[in-house]
Amino acid sequence: MEFDFGYLAAQWPALMRGLWLTIQVSALSIVLSIAVGLCGAAVRVLQVPVLDKVVVGYVEVIRNTPLLAQLFFIFYGLPGLGLRLSLFWSGVLSLTLWAGAYQIENIRGGLETVGKGLREAAFSLGLSPWRFFRLVAAPMAVRVGLPSMLNTSISLLKNSSYLQAIGLAELTFVAIDRISMDFRTIEMFAAICVIYLALVLTLSFFASRLEYRLNTPFRT
Amino acid sequence: MELLIKNLPFILQGIGMTLSLALATLFFSTLIAFMLGTLATLRFAWLRIAVKIYVELFRDIPLIVNIFFVFFVAPLFGLELSPFAAVTVGLSLWGSANGTEIVRAGLNAVPKHQWQSAAALGLKGWEVYLFIAGPQALRSILPPFVGLLTLLVQATSLGALVGVTEFFKVGQIIVERTTMMEGWNPAFTVYGAVLLIYFIICSTLSGFGRWLERRLKADRSRVAPGTSVVEQPVTQLP
Repeated sequence: MEFDFGYLAAQWPALMRGLWLTIQVSALSIVLSIAVGLCGAAVRVLQVPVLDKVVVGYVEVIRNTPLLAQLFFIFYGLPGLGLRLSLFWSGVLSLTLWAGAYQIENIRGGLETVGKGLREAAFSLGLSPWRFFRLVAAPMAVRVGLPSMLNTSISLLKNSSYLQAIGLAELTFVAIDRISMDFRTIEMFAAICVIYLALVLTLSFFASRLEYRLNTPFRT
Repeated sequence: MELLIKNLPFILQGIGMTLSLALATLFFSTLIAFMLGTLATLRFAWLRIAVKIYVELFRDIPLIVNIFFVFFVAPLFGLELSPFAAVTVGLSLWGSANGTEIVRAGLNAVPKHQWQSAAALGLKGWEVYLFIAGPQALRSILPPFVGLLTLLVQATSLGALVGVTEFFKVGQIIVERTTMMEGWNPAFTVYGAVLLIYFIICSTLSGFGRWLERRLKADRSRVAPGTSVVEQPVTQLP
């Protein structure tokens, strides 16, 4: 079987539509998961009485169950409770919940490097917990936690391919769909591997640039 | 609940399949990871680069794509892989890429003076690896490897997508069967239970990993409490 570039060219628009959906889902979920991470980490660090335990439980559950099972639970299971989400939003929700748990841990890890002394100093200066979090802890924690946060975001992008299992027409879905129709297996896999690699490598390149920039005040 | 009891043998079969898939993958991943991880610490730059490419390639391509790739492409080269074998190969490629990084980092974490002392005592290269660096590196390698095992157990659920009847697939089949034969949809309960069982398996494993980590860390200081031993840097020796 020859490698058929003409076939790839013909399928290019479909692949690009898939890619666009992949990017949309991932970008939205990355933003939301960082929001989840910030809230969860704040709860953990400020030791809010009951919520604290809830967050610990949430993180443990997400980290110790397969994403695929979480996704199916959300997409097929939640309608049993009367909560019916569209394909797109099921995907966003499950990716957000999945990555959110990791982001909580990443940000918390960063926050732990913010010493107790700083916290006491901030409180004795009369900062409220919220302002301490926003003005002192978060900027420092983000710098320390950033590499792992970006890694989680990149994993999220890769894991958006899980959504093909529930039938969201993202990049992997498009490719598998075409393969089962036209059997141009090699071409399709080569195409999506290259696209994913390009996405991930571009992101990690920008990640390392960002890390470098943010560390500027701390570099000696 | 009734559903659970009726399907118990089927479910146990699925869990068995999941575990054997995870163990097979762990075996191959460990084998490859230790080989490549060791190679990556050797002096040859081209070896390091080759290993790096392998690691990046399989870590950067989504695992699903990887598994589908093995599943769909192997037959084109005349290799008729069963779904089980295809998933094992796909997961092993991914697992070994992650494991290689763990092994490499573990070996690199062994202090430089250990290597130098061993070399100064006239140990051969392989002897240094086997008797000096290896055992010390193992302490920092083992806990993340247990973490990798939990990830592998979770990743075996992808086997469902290419038709391995492992635990997750069993859940799927039960949902479909009940919907068709009894006319009600137990998705919420079944997938909830599936999550629960994965959680039990994986949190046991990660608990074991944490215990191992504490244990290995505690062992490191073989000094009676109260006395402090400051390790002298090699460079300061006369």
